[in-house]
Amino acid sequence: MSIATLKARGLLRTVQAAPSQPIAFPFGLGERGVHEVAEAAYGDRAAATGFVLTAAQRGRKGVWLWVCQAGIARDLGHVPEAALREMSGGHRPRLSIHTRHGADALWAVEEAVVSGAVAHVVAEVEAADFTATRRLTLASEKHGVPVTLLLPYACDGATAAATRWRLAPRPSAPNPHDPHAPGYPRFRAVLERCRAAPDLAGRTYDLEWNDETLSLGLVSGMAAGPAAPRPAAGGGIVHRKAG
Amino acid sequence: MANPPAQAAGIHAGLSLADARATLPDILSEEIDRDADAKALTALAAWMVRFSPLVALDGQDGLILETTGCDHLFGGEAGLAAALSARLAAAGYGHAIAVAGTPGAAHALARTEATQAVPVILPMGNERMGLKEVPVRGLRLTDTALTLLRRFGLTRIGQLYGIDRKALARRFHSREAAEMVCLRLDQALGARAEPFAPFRVPPDHAARLPCPEPLADTAGVTEGLARLTEELCRTLSGHGLGAHGFAFHAFRSDGEVSTIRVNAARPVRTPAHILRLFREKIDRIDPGFGIDLLLLEALRTAPMETGSRPLAGDIAPVEVDEAALAALADRINARLGDGAVSVIQPLAHHPPDAAEARQPFAGQLPDSPTAPVSLPGLRPLRMFNHPERVDVIAEVPDGPPLRFVWRRVVRRVVRADGPERIAPEWWTFLPTADGISRILPRTRDYYRIEDADGRRYWVFREGLYHDGRGSPPEWFVQGLFA
Repeated sequence: MSIATLKARGLLRTVQAAPSQPIAFPFGLGERGVHEVAEAAYGDRAAATGFVLTAAQRGRKGVWLWVCQAGIARDLGHVPEAALREMSGGHRPRLSIHTRHGADALWAVEEAVVSGAVAHVVAEVEAADFTATRRLTLASEKHGVPVTLLLPYACDGATAAATRWRLAPRPSAPNPHDPHAPGYPRFRAVLERCRAAPDLAGRTYDLEWNDETLSLGLVSGMAAGPAAPRPAAGGGIVHRKAG
Repeated sequence: MANPPAQAAGIHAGLSLADARATLPDILSEEIDRDADAKALTALAAWMVRFSPLVALDGQDGLILETTGCDHLFGGEAGLAAALSARLAAAGYGHAIAVAGTPGAAHALARTEATQAVPVILPMGNERMGLKEVPVRGLRLTDTALTLLRRFGLTRIGQLYGIDRKALARRFHSREAAEMVCLRLDQALGARAEPFAPFRVPPDHAARLPCPEPLADTAGVTEGLARLTEELCRTLSGHGLGAHGFAFHAFRSDGEVSTIRVNAARPVRTPAHILRLFREKIDRIDPGFGIDLLLLEALRTAPMETGSRPLAGDIAPVEVDEAALAALADRINARLGDGAVSVIQPLAHHPPDAAEARQPFAGQLPDSPTAPVSLPGLRPLRMFNHPERVDVIAEVPDGPPLRFVWRRVVRRVVRADGPERIAPEWWTFLPTADGISRILPRTRDYYRIEDADGRRYWVFREGLYHDGRGSPPEWFVQGLFA
């Protein structure tokens, strides 16, 4: 029986396969699919946020939707517009949603993905289980809106997300103008799991964000160690005069 | 107030309780509850919207309906009065109905001539004739004015027609009281216009659906709502309008009305979208013993611009489809409560915690600011809503911290940059014209610091040493850098 006959009888049909995740950094973060970015320890939320903003720059232009559970914003602060603009490389219009419950937040994320009106949804929730991430993955693949979940350090276990990153801050780069001042921010991003390339799981990326060239670069292993400023007499730091 | 059996025994309003008890020893009395009465009257007024969109409260015990253009729906004024009377009697309200050309005349007739069984209908323009024999107490006058009129022997409204108005003012001693009598008389006769203050503003566009059989379940209400939405959207479309909000009223046959409202960020008239917003709330309508009238109103209508959709996303002139965004925001607001979706608006203020404000999304994204506020890398990525006080050890008083305790963990500072001094905006703390002066906050010195673990903080010292403000400066954490 020829293929044409099979098709005519409805036994064979062409389906659109879901586009596969790219297998190079950042593995589709902010471009397609659902990704999880978790803190390595309590208080690393700023590093995780910075990673999402800087690594997800290649995605579609348009409005970002920032969904946040109210408790998280109270505990870990909100993302000001100025910093968002600076780290995501230019003006990105943003809508914010604050919800009290995680279920409402996930519902809002799904609603936004299905509507297709936004270019990227970032959600800060306490937890997202397998069912929730699976729902989001299906919706995201169907409507082409990427979702990034910013999760607390306590999250683990199996989910349907394409990748899970674990973020910790690293001592910043040496400041060429002032050895005692912090330099460009550095993060350590560990790819905990990756559906597209399971063998890459566990890989560590030491990243540096250059806020002048607006680029995220890889730091080589040697330079990634703590940048030790010249110790001042007495072992403390030398303070600059105020003003 | 006295009920019919008590009235039969000779007890009437105005009698003192002691006299009433003397007449009828086992009489039951109860304190009047004006608040509850007012509430019930307002609810009744809301329910009266089924007869006319313009309803006003008339004192503590009356309602005025503007029936122009409404009576023919019920077969004329007599038919309207009969329908109204039947409804009120079924709901257990004692009432008296009068229809007249002016609110004053209707008020007077309803309180004097009309009874529950026999409504009074005075044809338009016959006020002078119709009010001739009506007692003056129907004229909405104060008790003192009524007493004076009674002393002059003026008991019927007709006796006031030919009276010399200047003489009346002399007798009243007070020009205002005499003026009031003339004003009320003129208003009742239609010689002077009377403003009509409806207790709620009627909508520009509405659609109503009377149900021949009372609806007892949500499915029926949903179906009715769908029809009304179709009809109203057709009307709006014909006028080139959209609405920012919709109110859906379900009138129950027992005199109750339940209302649900939805809001939209920008004017809408798409039935599917409106129905979707209502779907979250339709459970709140309690059908009770049956709903016999559905009313959908378009609130805050505005001209609506419609444009054609771009053929493909990549040739769209703008990247942002604001209509789709507004629709999304409406759906989320309908479920999570109004104001759940917000935008962050930059404000022209120096203190970082006043530099932006969260505002409800109203269909408009904030404009992109022209110039960045500061050099890159100087503002934190996460900012706390309220700065958190920390205990700090600094090597020199006006230097950056050496160690500090934030959230119960001791953090050793290895690198620091600063200070960046941000002074309060003194011009916003000037004493106002009414003499209220606010205390100027202290100057803040901000430092970017990094601890041994590589975490970066934005801390500030509030105040300077020897700035004459009494207490020594305190340290706070304002935010975290990436």
